[in-house]
Amino acid sequence: MTTAYRERIRVALADGWRFAGLHASASGSRVHVLLVRRGETRIETTDVAGHSVPSIVDLANAAGWDEREAHDLHNVGFGGHAPLRPLVTHDPRLDAWTVPVRGHDTYQVAVGPVHAGVIESGHFRFHVVGERILHLDPRLFYKHRGLERAAEGKTIDEGLKYASRACAACAVANGIAYARAAEVVQGLEPTPELSRVRTVLLELERMWSHLNDISAVCAGVGLAAGTNRFAALVERARRLNLQLTGHRFLFGSVRVGGSALQLHADDVAAARREVASIRIAAGRGVRELLFNASFQDRLPDVGIVTHADALRLGTVGPAARAAGVRHDVREHDTHLAYAGFAPVTPARAAGDVQARVEQRTLELEQTFGLLDGLLDGRIAPSTTTRSGSAQSVGVGRVESPRGETSCILERTGDLVERLRLRTGSYANWPSVAHAAANNLLPDFPLINKSFELCYACADR
Amino acid sequence: MLTLLRDLRSLRRNLDLAGPDQGRSLAVRHVDAGSCNGCEHELTLVSSPYHDLQRFGLGIVASPRHADLLLVTGAVTTRMHDALLRAYDAMPEPRRVAAIGDCSLGCGVLGSPSELVGRVEDVLPVDVRIPGCPPAPGAIADALLGLLDVCG
Repeated sequence: MTTAYRERIRVALADGWRFAGLHASASGSRVHVLLVRRGETRIETTDVAGHSVPSIVDLANAAGWDEREAHDLHNVGFGGHAPLRPLVTHDPRLDAWTVPVRGHDTYQVAVGPVHAGVIESGHFRFHVVGERILHLDPRLFYKHRGLERAAEGKTIDEGLKYASRACAACAVANGIAYARAAEVVQGLEPTPELSRVRTVLLELERMWSHLNDISAVCAGVGLAAGTNRFAALVERARRLNLQLTGHRFLFGSVRVGGSALQLHADDVAAARREVASIRIAAGRGVRELLFNASFQDRLPDVGIVTHADALRLGTVGPAARAAGVRHDVREHDTHLAYAGFAPVTPARAAGDVQARVEQRTLELEQTFGLLDGLLDGRIAPSTTTRSGSAQSVGVGRVESPRGETSCILERTGDLVERLRLRTGSYANWPSVAHAAANNLLPDFPLINKSFELCYACADR
Repeated sequence: MLTLLRDLRSLRRNLDLAGPDQGRSLAVRHVDAGSCNGCEHELTLVSSPYHDLQRFGLGIVASPRHADLLLVTGAVTTRMHDALLRAYDAMPEPRRVAAIGDCSLGCGVLGSPSELVGRVEDVLPVDVRIPGCPPAPGAIADALLGLLDVCG
C-alpha cells in the first residue's frame, strides 16, 4: 500500500501532474497529496502505518516543508526524509534546524524575529564568509496561530474566516480558495455574476499588492522617491477598496455560496475611472524606474531562481513566471471570469530581481486591463446554483498576488473536519532561501522584497 | 527621477498637510507579535505621502535601544512571547507601549488557544490602545500624535 503510494506519485509526476501540497488528516492517520495539471486536481492518499509513511521529497522537492509541517503538527514520520528538521516547532538547539556549514572563516549572522523596519516576524540564519551568503536557513512560524486546527469542528460557513484571515494581504485570494472548496463539497457552482464580482475583488487585491511590491523593492535599494510614489498609489488603491466594499483590505466581501456586494452602475463607473487614473500614474512611475540607472544597476543577476530551480522547488506566481515558468491558475480557471486569460512572462526571464520587478509591472498592466473590462455595469448580489452531488472533500485553487494558493476542505456533515491552506507564500519561501545563496548579505533585503512574501499566510 | 519627485511634490501640494512641527520627536519601534499582516501594511502607509508622520518628528527606528515607544501588533503567539519581552527590556526608560489593532487588544482573535499567549496587555503595560481591524493609517497617526502631546 505505502510503496504503491510512492509509485502513484512518481507516475503522476511523470504524467505531467505537478505537486501542489501535502497534508496529514486531522487525526494524523492519513496523508494526502494534492496534484494539479492545468485546471484539474487530484488527491492521492495513503494510510499512516506505525506513525510513518514513505517520503516523496526525492520525487517532489517542493514537498519538503509540507512533510516537515505534518511531522511537527500531526506527528507523522516520513521515511527517507533525513534529517527531518523541525519547521513549525521551534527547537532551541541550533543544529536541530540549521544545515551545518563548515569551512575556513565561515560564521553565522542571525536576523530576527524582530526586524529593523515595519516587517512581520521571522528569523533568518545566514551562513556567510565575509559578506557572501553561503546558505540561508529561514525559521518562520513565529506567527503560527493554529488557524487550521481552530477551524476544525466549526461550521463550513464559519470556517471561511480562518482561511481568509490567515493573511490580510491575501484575504480575498485565501477567502475565494476556501469558498470554492466549500462550494465543491456542497455541490454548488457560482453564477456568472458571482464569478465576475469575485474576479473584481481578486484583481483589486492584486492591484494594491503589486503596487506595494514595487514600492517595497524601491525601499530595498533605498530609492525613497520610488518607495513613496508607489506607497501613495497603494493608499489610493486601498481607498478605492474602502469605497467599493467598505473595507480597505476587502475583508468580509467574500462569502461561501454567494455575494452580497451591491454597487450602482455609477459607482462602478467611478471605480473604473479611478483604476484608469492609477494605471496612468503607475505607468509614469514604472517608466521613471526603468530609466533610473542607480535603481536598475542593483537588479540584474541578483537573487537568481533559474527555470530549472523553479520547477524543482515548486516556485509559483510572479517569481516562477519571472523564471519563465508560465504557470498561472487563472489560465485554466473555470469558476472565475478569466476566459481568454494568458499568463505573461518577461522577455528576459532570468529569474533574478530584475525579472521579478519587470514581472510585477507586466502583471499590473494585465490587472488594470482586467478591471477595466470587469468594472462595467452595476454589481448585483449573486449566488450559486446546484450543479452536482455533495462531496466529502473539496479543493479550491486561486492565483493570489504571490502565486498559486490551494485550499482543501474535508468535512463531516456540515462541519469542518480538516482545513489546509497552502498559499503562494508558503510555496515560495524555500525559493527565497535558495535565491539568497551566493549573494551578498546587503542584497538580501532586496532579494526578499522582490518576492515580497507574507509570513502570516505561511505561518497560519 | 524628476518625474517621480514632481509627482510627489504636486501630490503634497494637493493634500495640503499641516507644516512641520518643531521641537518634538518620538522614536518608534514596531514588533509584530502575531498579526495577520494587516496592521503592518497600514502602519507602513503612516510614513507615506498621505500621512507623512515624519514631519512631526515621529520615525520608525531600527532598534528598541533607540525607541521611546513600542508599537505591538497582533495577538501574542507563544513563539513571539520571548522576543516581544526582550525588545521591551532593551528599551531605555521612560518607555511607552502602544497596542495596535483588535487582535492586540484581544478582540475577535482567531486561532488555537494553545498557540496564543493572550493580549499585549497580558504581557506588557499598555499605554495606548488603537482599535481597528486593521486601524486605518489616519487612525494610527492620530493616536500617535495624541501620545506625542501627552509625552511632549
